[in-house]
Amino acid sequence: QDRTISGRVTDRANGQGLPGATVLVKGTTVGASTNADGGFSLSVPSSATTLSVSSIGYTTVDQAIGAENTYTVSLAADVKQLGEVVVTALGQERTRNSLAFAATQIEGNQVTAARNPNAINGLSGKVAGVQIRQSNTMGGSTNVLIRGTKSITGNNQPLFVVDGVPISNANTNTSGQQTGGGGYDYGNAASDINPDDIATMTILKGAAATALYGERAGNGVILITTKKGRQGLGVTINTGVTAGRIDKSTFITYQKEYGAGYAPEFVEEDVDGDGVLDNVIDLAADASIGPRYDRNLQVYTWNAFQPGSPNFGKKQAWVAAENDPSTFFKTAWTTNNSVVIDGGNEKATFKLGYNNVRETGILPNSSIDKNIINFAGTLNLTSRLTASSSVNFSVVNGFGRYGTGYSGTYAENLMTNFRQWWQTNVDIKEQKQAYDYANLNASWNLTGPGSSTAQYWNNPWWSRYKSYENDSRYRTFGNVALTYKVTDWFNVLGRVTIDSNDDLQEERMAYGAVNISGYSRYNRTGREANFDLIGNFKANVAENLSFTGLIGANLRRESYKSIRATTNGGLVIPELYTLTNSFSPINPPVESETRRAVDGVFAAATLGFRDMVFLDLTARSDKSSTLPEGSNRYFYPSASLGFVFSEALKETTPWLSYGKLRANYAEVGNGATPYSIADSYDKPTAFGSVALFSVPSTKNNPLLKPERTKNAEIGVEAAFLNTRLGFEANVYQSNSIDQIIPINISTASGYSFRYVNAGDVRNRGVELSGFVVPFRNDNVTWTINANWTKNQNRVMSLFEGADNIVLTTYQGGVSSNATVGKPFGSIRGSNFTYLNGQKVVGTDGYYVPSATANEEIANPNPNWTGGISNTVSYKGISLYFLVDVRKGGQVFSLDRSYGLETGLTPETAGLNDLGNPSRNLIADGGGVIFPGVQADGTPNTVRAENSGYASDGAGGYDPTFATAYGTSFNPAAAFVYDASFVKLREVSLTYSLPKTLLAKVGGVKGVDFSIVGRNLWLIHKNLPYADPEDAVSSGNFGQGYSTGAYPAVRTVGANLRLSF
Amino acid sequence: CVGSLDEKYNVDPKSPTTALASGFVANAERTLVRTLVSTNVNLNPFRFYVQYWAATDYPNESRYDLNTRSIPTGFWNALYRDCLRDLREAKANIPSDITIPAESKDNALAATEVLEIYTWATLVETYGNVPYTQALDFNTARPAYDDQARIYTDLIARLDVAISKFNPAANTGFFTTTASADLLNNNSTALWLKFANSLKLRMALIIADVDPAKAATMAAATTGKVLASNADVIDLAFNGTFPNTNPLYEDLVRSARTDFAGTSFFINRLKGTAGPVTGVVDPRLNDYFNPVTSTTQPAGTFTGGTYGSGNSKSLTSLPGTKLRGQTLPGVLMSYAQVEFMLAEARERGFAVGGTPESHYNAAVTASITEPQWGGTAAEAAAYLAEPTVAYATAGGPGATYKQKIGYQKWVALYNQPVEAWTEWRRLDYPVLTAPNTAISGIPVRLLYPVVEQNINGENYAQAASAIGGDKVETKLFWDKF
Repeated sequence: QDRTISGRVTDRANGQGLPGATVLVKGTTVGASTNADGGFSLSVPSSATTLSVSSIGYTTVDQAIGAENTYTVSLAADVKQLGEVVVTALGQERTRNSLAFAATQIEGNQVTAARNPNAINGLSGKVAGVQIRQSNTMGGSTNVLIRGTKSITGNNQPLFVVDGVPISNANTNTSGQQTGGGGYDYGNAASDINPDDIATMTILKGAAATALYGERAGNGVILITTKKGRQGLGVTINTGVTAGRIDKSTFITYQKEYGAGYAPEFVEEDVDGDGVLDNVIDLAADASIGPRYDRNLQVYTWNAFQPGSPNFGKKQAWVAAENDPSTFFKTAWTTNNSVVIDGGNEKATFKLGYNNVRETGILPNSSIDKNIINFAGTLNLTSRLTASSSVNFSVVNGFGRYGTGYSGTYAENLMTNFRQWWQTNVDIKEQKQAYDYANLNASWNLTGPGSSTAQYWNNPWWSRYKSYENDSRYRTFGNVALTYKVTDWFNVLGRVTIDSNDDLQEERMAYGAVNISGYSRYNRTGREANFDLIGNFKANVAENLSFTGLIGANLRRESYKSIRATTNGGLVIPELYTLTNSFSPINPPVESETRRAVDGVFAAATLGFRDMVFLDLTARSDKSSTLPEGSNRYFYPSASLGFVFSEALKETTPWLSYGKLRANYAEVGNGATPYSIADSYDKPTAFGSVALFSVPSTKNNPLLKPERTKNAEIGVEAAFLNTRLGFEANVYQSNSIDQIIPINISTASGYSFRYVNAGDVRNRGVELSGFVVPFRNDNVTWTINANWTKNQNRVMSLFEGADNIVLTTYQGGVSSNATVGKPFGSIRGSNFTYLNGQKVVGTDGYYVPSATANEEIANPNPNWTGGISNTVSYKGISLYFLVDVRKGGQVFSLDRSYGLETGLTPETAGLNDLGNPSRNLIADGGGVIFPGVQADGTPNTVRAENSGYASDGAGGYDPTFATAYGTSFNPAAAFVYDASFVKLREVSLTYSLPKTLLAKVGGVKGVDFSIVGRNLWLIHKNLPYADPEDAVSSGNFGQGYSTGAYPAVRTVGANLRLSF
Repeated sequence: CVGSLDEKYNVDPKSPTTALASGFVANAERTLVRTLVSTNVNLNPFRFYVQYWAATDYPNESRYDLNTRSIPTGFWNALYRDCLRDLREAKANIPSDITIPAESKDNALAATEVLEIYTWATLVETYGNVPYTQALDFNTARPAYDDQARIYTDLIARLDVAISKFNPAANTGFFTTTASADLLNNNSTALWLKFANSLKLRMALIIADVDPAKAATMAAATTGKVLASNADVIDLAFNGTFPNTNPLYEDLVRSARTDFAGTSFFINRLKGTAGPVTGVVDPRLNDYFNPVTSTTQPAGTFTGGTYGSGNSKSLTSLPGTKLRGQTLPGVLMSYAQVEFMLAEARERGFAVGGTPESHYNAAVTASITEPQWGGTAAEAAAYLAEPTVAYATAGGPGATYKQKIGYQKWVALYNQPVEAWTEWRRLDYPVLTAPNTAISGIPVRLLYPVVEQNINGENYAQAASAIGGDKVETKLFWDKF
């Protein structure tokens, strides 16, 4: 007698129904699949005693059949993931078991846990071996490093591949911007992906995993697989809003004792014309080394000379500002809405997604609007031929992005202003009133009394509203593919992929600014096409021996064209931003056109023995247009071996759920930057009608050969106690040799750089990741995930015995270097002088700088990075938080170097060891004693003047224009700080409505409500008043250099997810 | 396939692979003049060093902080990479350049050589030992430094060869389709020859303290061949369109910044309230500087600032309006400068004709009447008539020629700051003192670029030790006193 048994299969982690799970009567073929809600119903013979419930990625559960007719079976995720399918190079889907290299797969919902609108930022702290550095600017670029910096001057960003489409993650920032010189950070292009559309992200770290991708894969690959259409119809809607406020611990704190001035004295002018000299502050001074505040003193400050200010024409009490620049920032709002519709039948599937993100930043008049539409579809044309296509179209419109670094020609960075050059008496709200009065540049920093002309800095409100930028990026990427199944064991894929960008960037400097007014526009088109033909084999060669393999070819064609034009000599008509409004004739726009072509052929084979031993072999040969004929073809192999030892031990060690050892070796070759083999000339703007020509500063090299990265890796994966506990560990070493670098040569040679093959950069590291489930029952699950990465980077050799390359120089007398025996990017500048480990103080009471300005003073590379997350779920409620840690590495802060110089921060004022104001003259009991020793080794007792005056040697005083703490009296090393941080990076609390409730509504499959937070708490840092993570741009430059840093933004928000 | 791509696929389609030789020369002329007359604090600090100017808000560079802004690197790169390298490229291209007529080729090469020698001389006079024999070769990434005196000797020999190569019957041959492409001397071979001979006279005086006999021979050989009037000035007329405007305009006007003020040392001397010319207001005062803008001061007040310190922008005199024009020419060598050299040469007993006094008078007159200042001959005559100016009585009893010529030359070279610094180092007048806040003595050379320490360390160390230490106080070979 058969009877009908029904029930539901749920995911133990969240209690939600599991569609597609298999319910079998054990020992028979009688069974059923669960429906979209996890429900099942089947007719079982009376003899049946047990149901076997399984689903890919979950541990199979045997459920005894008793008297009841309904059963709810909850499945726990199978962390050993024997059956988990991982997407690897070229989109091959492989079981985790068979992988003999490190590959971390992250589910889409982990990336979006805290609703980060930038999917790449959503990886931070989650993957061992991956170092993500986010920018604090709105829409700024994200630096991604996998296993360290390999190329001395080339690209170190990983390759992004979305559904087989290699997409650019380049930024279009100017080199000046990247080295802190000023400009805008336009972000990088991998942010043009809808995070809600991501099914999985696979991070392929080592060359053995990536070698099939060819020359661009040496820095690792981030493979993004978007959601696929499924049978039936599904709709998922996300709608959310977040609000962000600055984290004040990452913004400057001002001293409130001294106001405007470069010297502690007022300017005396008869402002009111009564024949008596009045006290006027030094209006032109962008510093606070001025007179001590005294409520009883009546003085003229900037607002006496700016109409619209309540104090126009009047004196006011000499006091610190009530509203300092921290009140300049507003709440940043982001709304993020997306809808994904998918569906299909046996013949075809489709998916259609739309995502809108609208952000406003912490600075006034800033916004980014991002719209993304994507479509993917598959169609089985015949039983053997499948066509598929996906298209992602995005439009990003930026408006009023933040200026970065030191202010540039068209980009003012107010952080440089607030952190380095400021008067602590300026009330930012009064600046707003003054701006609002007539919308003019009512600056606090005037050329002199009676003037309303700005000296060095504009009114910050005026600057934000009038000198704004705007930009747009239209991007389309996607593919069309045909797969023909020749036989059961062989199919052929033909695919064309396109990534196409069109960028427009328009920058403005308004008429009336300190800088000359102007308008600059930059147009860029980027096109990349790939043509792939790949044959896939899959066969069981013999019993216990499986074989999969592929053979293929790839043609890549890239073309980038840009043109930048700017007005010359100012604008004729204010606020008319067009090139024809140039005061002088415009100079020829700067054009650029870069082309590259690479052809590759490749093959791969995987041999598997008894699901226990796996051997992977790959080979690829590339031919690049960027290298000279004859040495433009390069071949590179990889070999990987995996041994699943738990298969051999499963009888004897039941506590070992899973164990695998693996080892691999791989090489990846790389071509050159286009146009680095043949010389051409520069043609500067003509002098009137006289053509000028110049030899470029880089000498090209017709003898270049490919560069090469050699990579070895050993790893172990294990899980214990029914996968309550597990870990993965990798050790690796890579050497990047024969790098194609424009090496610095003495400019006495007539060039600054010469392209050569040179150098060896080694990265060695350890990656650990693990999980533990401290508590688990039917209702409650608590999971901890942790990862830890230590990468040691060292420059092993450079060109012809040279021991140093200067990568770039920064303002502040420091440079970034590659030095033999040192980690990449070490910062050089003037150091302290040390005696027996103590800093030496001179007879004037100030530190004695090193003899040269060329000492290594900072290493920007972290000692280690790590992340730890906790997830606790109870029925439909889930709490998750992630702590992201960076230990070590150093940063040189130009903000500190100048901010201390100009007396902005509290340590430049206050009391000294005698209890007197340190800014008093030494003669009046002031001054400071710097810790250290004198030349003879005895402790320093000499007081240094901190008054803003120095003795002129004749009984009088000269103003120094500096406190004792800034760049005038200290070596660059005084402004180097530890860049460690501990951040509470992500928090989310999610509540999923019970299915029982939803069942009553009908049509709704799931309702999840989340409260999320990002960067809520900077738990620990050592860099004063700034976020040690913030940098001006992604890329090799700017690591370990902080200027005009933006404060971190704490974000909280809510999100509603509906699925139908 | 890549193999089937056009062979130019890897050649930048937006950059030329062929060029006009005249374009390299014009570019080098422009770069050289801009570098030498600039007041950019990253490049040219010499108006500070001779105490013409003081800083307003940012005095670090006037306290001889060279490396925070990498000044030595900036100056070095401009001369080596941006001038000399282009001049070498010009020399390589001149023989085959069809736009240069055959009869002008020798002149074109000689003129290029004279510019190269001028640039080399400036490098040697600024740093001391520098890479020379191994320089300008990309295959030598780390060139050795040569001995400064030996380089100088070679430069003098090369200059004689260059002078002998000029053919006065032809022009120097640098033309565009419509105009002269010689920004400096308008293709005038006569003017190039005068420049070359004046340079020879100048180099003779540089070595006069270490090799007087050779200096005497060299100087005598230039008699009658040097710049002969203000019309002969070796200068570059900037035009009104950025980026070819005068760099002073860019730093003083276009930047909208107010970084510099006259020093009290200089302005008090121009006013006649200090120094050797007391009681006489220099006719160039109101050209060199503007009156203070503060309404607390009577109109027309000139006040200098404290050197080495910061200074008020309204209470001190800022650089004069005449320095601020877009088209103000940049001067490489002035007639006044040549007359001062002749006066000194006569004092040293060199056979260059005239008397010290006649040349001194001509020099002071030329300076005052230089077109950019626009003084009159009458003003010059009145000035020279003052006993504190007149050659016989200037500086008081017992004043040396170095004192008399040194002071007037220092005043005259106001807008040739590199030359002013060199002549101050050579003549040692006026007597300048470093400010109390200085981090070193007054620089008598520039430090080697920090980047040379980084990438050419061994040769750097040898050079530093050979010249007596890479310090700003290390005197160069010709700077005996």
